[in-house]
Amino acid sequence: MFQVADVEQAGIPTVSLLYQDQDECFRQAATLSGSPCLRRVHVSRTLPGPEDVAGFLGPMFDALTRPLTKEESESGRLKLPDDRVLFEGTLEEAEEFYQQTENIPSLRNNAPIALYTDGLPIVVPTEQRVQEMLKGTSHKPDEIITHQADHGVMTMGMGEGAKKGDPVLFQPVKRKATVEQVAINAVMAGCRPEYLPVVLAIAEAGGGGGFDGRGSQGYVVSGPIAKEIGMNFDVGLFGPGNPANRSIARAAELMWRNFGGNIPNVTNCGVMGAPLFNCIPEDLDALPPGWKGLNEEYDFKRDESIIYVMNLGRGGTTNIHRTEFSPGGYRAFQKSGHGGVARRLGVKGIPGPHNFLEYMLSELWAGREGGITFLLLPQMAQHLYEYGFKSKDEVYEWIYKASLKTMKEYRTHSWPDVQTNSWLGIEPSSGKPYKELPDDYMVPMVRDPYENCIIVTGGGEEYPQWLGARRSAGNLAYSIDFWR
Amino acid sequence: MAEKYKCLNPVGIQTSVDLLPLAPRLDTIDGKTIYVCINAGGDQDITIPLLKRLPVDYPNVNWQIKRKFGFSASLTEEEKKTCDAMIAGVIW
Repeated sequence: MFQVADVEQAGIPTVSLLYQDQDECFRQAATLSGSPCLRRVHVSRTLPGPEDVAGFLGPMFDALTRPLTKEESESGRLKLPDDRVLFEGTLEEAEEFYQQTENIPSLRNNAPIALYTDGLPIVVPTEQRVQEMLKGTSHKPDEIITHQADHGVMTMGMGEGAKKGDPVLFQPVKRKATVEQVAINAVMAGCRPEYLPVVLAIAEAGGGGGFDGRGSQGYVVSGPIAKEIGMNFDVGLFGPGNPANRSIARAAELMWRNFGGNIPNVTNCGVMGAPLFNCIPEDLDALPPGWKGLNEEYDFKRDESIIYVMNLGRGGTTNIHRTEFSPGGYRAFQKSGHGGVARRLGVKGIPGPHNFLEYMLSELWAGREGGITFLLLPQMAQHLYEYGFKSKDEVYEWIYKASLKTMKEYRTHSWPDVQTNSWLGIEPSSGKPYKELPDDYMVPMVRDPYENCIIVTGGGEEYPQWLGARRSAGNLAYSIDFWR
Repeated sequence: MAEKYKCLNPVGIQTSVDLLPLAPRLDTIDGKTIYVCINAGGDQDITIPLLKRLPVDYPNVNWQIKRKFGFSASLTEEEKKTCDAMIAGVIW
């Protein structure tokens, strides 16, 4: 529920302060919450605060006292057409039809955005092709996609929680979808019928829009279906070429448009956008002995297939970080203790295995807080194992302990102003208010060891990539087998 | 003549929404209880001077300030009973 609308609908006049460039997104959210005319006043992104306040105080009180207009006094009903057949014609005509765009005035340049696609040509979803796609699942075409487990609200109050059996409400505009509608989008994306259970599991996870409609989540397949459908585990797994890796992710993006109603700066004010990010498989065969796959981390069995929802970033923006090792530099460091990495870690001339994570420590929390998701090449996972980490849990615990920073440094970060409730909140590891902690108190940047996540995948060597924390709320693991 | 096909609709099912009028506005703010819901920690350069000015410039209003972590601009059912108007901000 859009909470301001809840208050207004209780008979209490409201006014919201927001930025002009987010006005259309606000209006859309207000409409979906049943109060399309919610009054708002624009604040400035550039004026000094006191000057800004002086300018908006008058309009703010006017919004609370000015009598309602005719439009603001009216009731109505929002209902969109839902015809099953959208178009009849030749394939050529259909291709043109699905490529329609609309110009978006709230985007600079009045940029066009596709009505039904991700902007690229699609495979036309004829009735026959969709029937063929539906052979990839035993579920009935008219079944509504529902949650198979409870899940909570994402941090910061974004998104919505749900109970098992509730229909999935695709963000940002909260539409529902049937199995057939998922199959339609899978056809359009170029998927094969055997990919459909994966796409259905992604649909259960909210499609491309994820918890809050701004995207920034990727999908990882953990389990035997990855091999069955020919996913690429190796070099170039994020690049073009593999039909499964690419088309499954594309189906997620199409669901974001067609189920989630995603339109930049209209329904989604995410900043840089979350671009197509191939669906990737976890390489279970490459896990060191004793290391669990993602499926086992979430209490599924090793031979069960799941989708894991990977945190790609924040604010509707994909943030992938990397630590760079020169060609051969990492290898020399591990083999014989040569090079700058060995010098930093004080192991010059000492053969490995060494803990390369120590080399990365200075940058992991330089301008952020929270756990780390590592996309770890099998070679590098093996080095951690040989160094002494006999399980992923031991690595998670090590990262947690390595994340301690002084309170003095923590106070110089950006997000803690908000996340500590303006420093009024309680610091979990001490049980004391943040305000009372001395400068030299050590605060963990990672709230819990299991905010960290390791995904072993890819091929080649030397390239560790890392992303944000494993999300702590919401359900992150979705059975694919359920959707077979 | 090229064959014609029925092509299906990829758009999901939009639950219908009842659209409601706004709440009646106040005749005056004097003597009223107005809640200001501030997202704690964000946009302090706006919210701090705002909260300083309100009681000084509008002393006849009963100001109730709610600072909350995150994106909440909600009122409890108890608060709704005594609230005459709400200012919410800054919405990100």
